[in-house]
Amino acid sequence: MIPLSARMLSTNRLAAIAVNTFRESVRQKFFLLLSLAALALGIIAWWLRECSSGTLQTKFVLDAGFGALTFFGAVVAIVATAESFSGEIERKTVMAVLAKPVGRSEFVLGKLGGILGLLLVFCAAITGFLMVLILWQQMAAGSLPAGASAEVGHRAFVALMACGLVQWLRCSVLAALTLLVATYARSSLLAVTSGFAALVACSLRSLACDALRVTGPGWARGGADILGVLVPDFELYDVADRVASGGVLSPGYLAGITLYSALYVGLFAALAVYCFRHREL
Amino acid sequence: MNAIELEQIGKVFVPGLSGTPFHALEAINLCIAEGEVVGLLGPNGSGKTTLFKIILGLLAPTAGICRIFGRPGNCPEVRCSVGYLPEAPEFYPYLTGVELVRFFAQLAGLAGAIREKRIAEAIARVGMERASARRVGTYSRGMKQRIGLAQALVTNPRLVILDEPTANLDPEGAADMGELIRGIRARGGTVLLSSHQLAQVEDLCTRVLFLNRGRLAGSGTADEFAQPDCENSFFVESLTEADQAELRVWLARRGARLRTGATPRGRLERAYQTAVRGGRPGEA
Repeated sequence: MIPLSARMLSTNRLAAIAVNTFRESVRQKFFLLLSLAALALGIIAWWLRECSSGTLQTKFVLDAGFGALTFFGAVVAIVATAESFSGEIERKTVMAVLAKPVGRSEFVLGKLGGILGLLLVFCAAITGFLMVLILWQQMAAGSLPAGASAEVGHRAFVALMACGLVQWLRCSVLAALTLLVATYARSSLLAVTSGFAALVACSLRSLACDALRVTGPGWARGGADILGVLVPDFELYDVADRVASGGVLSPGYLAGITLYSALYVGLFAALAVYCFRHREL
Repeated sequence: MNAIELEQIGKVFVPGLSGTPFHALEAINLCIAEGEVVGLLGPNGSGKTTLFKIILGLLAPTAGICRIFGRPGNCPEVRCSVGYLPEAPEFYPYLTGVELVRFFAQLAGLAGAIREKRIAEAIARVGMERASARRVGTYSRGMKQRIGLAQALVTNPRLVILDEPTANLDPEGAADMGELIRGIRARGGTVLLSSHQLAQVEDLCTRVLFLNRGRLAGSGTADEFAQPDCENSFFVESLTEADQAELRVWLARRGARLRTGATPRGRLERAYQTAVRGGRPGEA
């Protein structure tokens, strides 16, 4: 029987663990390297934009930039979560942490909070860098600052920010899923490989469900429905192409995708807390 | 008041779904009074770390009751009074020493000026003032042990649990750690430590417990181990080389041998060998 006080969450301890996780992760070399790699890809795309012409130049840069954000964001989400959680168990640091008056749920949720903060910084930095590149390109092309063009430019930047937010939500769901795996994985390597397997599953979830519904037998259709509920659909987050083509993301879509992500993050976090509370260290 | 009370503590690990159950601890009964420094001795795999984890509430016992200062061991509040140094700790390598100790102070609920004062005191106690601004990843093993002890002591705990505090330390580092443990004892703290260094345990502890294959195999107080074991050991002085040779031959005929050494083996070592090797001291 776990005492009542053990079930209560302390915001101070949660904040301490989250800040510590963020601080430790943001100083790691792999985070710096991945951030630089994403930025470098954006710069390369900017140099190579001459391969296209007119408005396609902007699309080329944005496609490459958001591609880098999606790929490297996923890698950061998986590696940082596995390293921060499973690595701490491997190093036995978790023993010293849990020997203080810290509940296991506080430990799991604090870790998740720190990783979400790290991903927010990563996505904001890459999106901000892309906005600077686009602004620079538009200024060089002389399309700013005219009245109507400025209005269009403003809308485009809002769409870029919204796209960055959507990519952060996607990374957050992936981090929560990796955290769930890490709570029972016996090593960081297993957590990382399982995280990448989860990334592939979530990315192919729509295709798999459609294929099962169309070609599968009756029981497979039921399985597809269950799969559709359990596995988040990462195709819903593929909005970079729409934004790069000059489209905008509606408030309804943004509210819906935020709620969708929050539900999955909450579900995976709750399962992670359950698994970790029953794990023998 | 007793700092630690264990009643019939047992722990069984079941590896996988169809694995054979492994009895890590069986029927451990133990009381440690406040102010005691207790050494837990036992070979690798004897259950020392498992016992520590149960006391700290990190593992749930399969059987028995654990109380810390009269309260259940898994109660988070009671852990405010406990400091723990894990075996060979690898703390966050990208944090500085002072950031690390501050993090653990925050977890223990310390805040504001009191927290900063305690952090400075804990770092000073372990002699890490000059290195506290450096990242932990750049520390030597001895420095990691010291900063680990600082995080354990930052709350001025009434009970300190040290899992092999001198493992992998050079003799100088081990001696420093011994001084730190004496300091805890001088302040009235209770210490439970495990170690493989019998001489250090003999030197530091008021009581020694032997753990073997998950069971308490014996115990004794410091006074009982203070005198060297002289029942079957003799010092021989002023013997010529020729007489030594003759003595060796004489002893060999009777199945004994002459052993050279600075001092005879202590009672603690003999008791340890008896406890963990089933009464066959000296067997390899």
